[in-house]
Amino acid sequence: MKLINCPLNGPRNAQEFVCAGEVKLMPDPNACSDTEWTDYVFMENNTAGVVREWWCHVPTAFWFIAERDTVTDTFIRTYPASEVFGARVDFAAPAAKGGGA
Amino acid sequence: MTLQPLDRTRRSFIWRELVAAGARFAEVNGTATAMDFGNPAAEAETARRMGLVDLSPLPRTGYKGRGALDWLRSQGVQVPEENNRALVQPDGSVACRLAPSELLLLGPLDGAPGLVDELDAAWPGPDAGTGAYRVPRPDTNLWFALTGSDADAMFSKICGVDLRTSHFPNLGIAQTQVARLSGIVVRADLGATPVFHLLADCASAGYMLAVLKDAMDEFGGGLVGLAALRELARS
Repeated sequence: MKLINCPLNGPRNAQEFVCAGEVKLMPDPNACSDTEWTDYVFMENNTAGVVREWWCHVPTAFWFIAERDTVTDTFIRTYPASEVFGARVDFAAPAAKGGGA
Repeated sequence: MTLQPLDRTRRSFIWRELVAAGARFAEVNGTATAMDFGNPAAEAETARRMGLVDLSPLPRTGYKGRGALDWLRSQGVQVPEENNRALVQPDGSVACRLAPSELLLLGPLDGAPGLVDELDAAWPGPDAGTGAYRVPRPDTNLWFALTGSDADAMFSKICGVDLRTSHFPNLGIAQTQVARLSGIVVRADLGATPVFHLLADCASAGYMLAVLKDAMDEFGGGLVGLAALRELARS
C-alpha cells in the first residue's frame, strides 16, 4: 500500500486521494487575455522534477498542496493550502461586452 | 399492532432489512427505531463482543466554514482542542472536530431533543456573517455503531487505518475509507465496551450493512437493537 501524508488526517492509503494538477497563480480573469486564461485553465507544464500540486483527501474533501518529485514519484512535503492562499477570492462580474439582445 | 417503519414519514435507510431481521420498533426522534430483535438479554451479550446497531434515526448535525467553531463555541458547545478528536457534551451528545473548520455533532442515545436541535434552531442562516455553514447529516449519512471487544478486529478487514483499541484512543476519529466508501469512524466507548460509530453515504447503506454483516460473521456478530446499546451505557 502506498501512503500519502495528509496534513489533516496523517498517513493514508494513496487510494483515498486525487490529484488536481499543478498549483498555478490565477491571472485576473477580467484583465487577462483569452490566451492567458486558456493557459491557466487547461495547460500543464508536465515538469520532470519537483512540482507543486493540488491534492484532495476524498473522505474529508480536504484540499492541500504537495511537493512531489515526478521522476521518482516521491512526496517531499505536504501542507495545508492556507500556507499559500490566505484570503478568499471574490469574483466581480465582468462588465457586459456588448452583443446580446 | 406494534409500530412499523411505514407508520412514520421518516425511516431508517435500512428499514427493510430491519423488518426482515425481525426487529421490534419503538418511536425515537419521530422515527420507528429497531429497539431489539426479540431477545434483548442475548443482544446485550452480543453487543459486548460484536454487534451492529442502526443509529440512523437519531439526531445529528454538522457545521463547517471558517467561522464554524467560533459560532459553535458561542452557542455553548465544548469544542475539542485537536482535529480528529471528539468530546462528550453534558447532554451526552458527542462533538467531533473533523477539521479546523468543521464539527460533527452526534446526538445522545436516548434520541431526546438536545444540543443538536438547539443548534439547528439557533443557526441564523448562511448569510448572517457567522462564516458557518450547516451540514445537515440525517438525510445524507447513515449512522451505525459497531460495538464490542471484537469490533476493532472486524474493522481490520475493511479499513486501512489501525483501529485496534490498544492503538486508536477512545474519542479518536478516523476519516478514511471503510469497505471502499468514504466514512467517518468515531470511537466513543460505552462503559468498558469499545464502540465505533460509523458514518458514510446513506445511498450505500444496504451495501455497507451487507459488508459489515459478512465481516462480523466470523466473530459471531450480528444486528442488535438500540436497547442493547443503552444497556452497555448503563453497565
